[in-house]
Amino acid sequence: MDAITVEKLTKKYGDNEVLKGVNLKIAEGEFYALMGPNGSGKTTLASIIVSVRFPTSGKIEIYGKKPENAKELIGYVPQESFSSPILTGKENLMYFAGLLGYSKNTSEKTVNELLKKIELSEDANKRVSDYSGGMRKRLEVATALFPGIRILILDEPTTGLDPSARRKFLGLIQELRKERTTVLLITHIGADAELASRVGLIDEGKIIAEDEPERLKKVSGLRDVINIETAIKSEKVAKILGEFSEKKKVLETDVGYRVYCKDVEEATPEIVRSLDAIGCKATKIETEKPSLEDVFFKLTEKMVREVS
Amino acid sequence: MGQITATLGKTIKEFLRQKTILFWTIAWPILWVLIGSFSFVENVPSEVVSYIRGAIAISMSVFALMTAGMANLPGNIAQDRERGLLSKLMSMPINPWRDFVGRILALLAFSSLAAILVTLVGYGCGARFSYSLIGLLQSIGFILLISLASAGIGMLIGTFIKHVHGAIMSGVGIAVVTAAISGVMTPYSSLPWLLQQFARIYPISSSSSSITFLLVGEDYAGYNPLSCCFLLEVWSPIQDFAGEKNEKLPWIIKRLVCALNSIE
Repeated sequence: MDAITVEKLTKKYGDNEVLKGVNLKIAEGEFYALMGPNGSGKTTLASIIVSVRFPTSGKIEIYGKKPENAKELIGYVPQESFSSPILTGKENLMYFAGLLGYSKNTSEKTVNELLKKIELSEDANKRVSDYSGGMRKRLEVATALFPGIRILILDEPTTGLDPSARRKFLGLIQELRKERTTVLLITHIGADAELASRVGLIDEGKIIAEDEPERLKKVSGLRDVINIETAIKSEKVAKILGEFSEKKKVLETDVGYRVYCKDVEEATPEIVRSLDAIGCKATKIETEKPSLEDVFFKLTEKMVREVS
Repeated sequence: MGQITATLGKTIKEFLRQKTILFWTIAWPILWVLIGSFSFVENVPSEVVSYIRGAIAISMSVFALMTAGMANLPGNIAQDRERGLLSKLMSMPINPWRDFVGRILALLAFSSLAAILVTLVGYGCGARFSYSLIGLLQSIGFILLISLASAGIGMLIGTFIKHVHGAIMSGVGIAVVTAAISGVMTPYSSLPWLLQQFARIYPISSSSSSITFLLVGEDYAGYNPLSCCFLLEVWSPIQDFAGEKNEKLPWIIKRLVCALNSIE
């Protein structure tokens, strides 16, 4: 049985159509990542699935029920940090246990188990304001892991986390897959989406591609990508690199550029020479397999996330 | 543990752990009780000083109730909205009315604690009261009315002002200004005629005067506020309807207070 079914879903804010007939099916136990840039409609879609917003038209079913009648099956972790910073981690979870109707004794037991699962038992009695970003995010995920919850919806959970905290967080999500929890991950980070069993790429309110991560890459026709780290970034550098790239488009990253060319081995020394000629030093140059962000760029000519 | 208890527990812990809230709701009124009890009683006959101190303690307890409802409640709502907790709650199988009741109960508990502390400090400074049992019970009714009227204004602020600091400072501002112009923080007799009329119809100041009338005496209230109870009946439902259209509790309580008055 499908855990989530979305059919011809639209959402309008005035004249602005944020979702344009989205169709989506997520099977029970599946880890599905919805990847797209800011403003593509992914958060709106998630918030409609969890009944925070209502659609303009279309149909949604959660295990065959309307979303508003299936709230007890969904654990939603919004983008914002919603835990109370002046309460301790345990007090926060006890609050949610109370909201879900647990008795005091059952709450205590369940909350202790959840704290153990998210590896926060030792810090349970610290105030959340003393937690790191990663600890806080794990605590918030725990609010969506109370027994009975079968679908976990995470909205950009790793945004703002340092690499170590991000890895630990993703490790926790991988663990949850073993428990057959259905996971819908909303993200704009390709590396996070790679962990999913299926990825949907969303742009301008439409799902433009959907498949297993490796198949998406294969179907896109992308071959190896040259990842260049440069001392400086400028339009001039991008233009020179564009000469080596298909359709003359390069993807800007936090530290440089990604160049898509047919013959990597032939292009690499040429690129180094061209950059040297304008006095731009390539600090690192390497060949990489294409990522989901490359696939998105290939399909839309847009970056999936803003570079810092 | 139900939703109401969970929300009550969380909200009251948040009230008790935030220094801004503690300052404006407890420390600030206490400071004014201390200043008022010793600064404004020079050249006053000694037999009335303790009653003036009593009136000051009541005024500042009312101010504590006002800040709790008008600043702490909208601040708490705005905070929960700003950090995404309201979205999270909307996605959960919970009853919004229980969340509302939990917050109001937390507010009443915290307001009562603040009012008791302020009154105790006033008592320690020499405030004395002269009351009957029925007068005390009526005063408790008026305290409840002040809390709920303040909560009504607080909910209006929380609805229109989305940011935490904006909501808190608007609440504090409205509490200070309305307390000053309605005779809560200033003697009724010193107000100009127009503001005296406002003080009579503003539920908070007329309730404050009623408490002073019942626990200290008419001379200290400035007039007999219990004679214009019908105005409360007209004004309070309008205010509460604007704050929370389905909130019926204050109306019922006001009717009870009026019924008590008519019995007396």
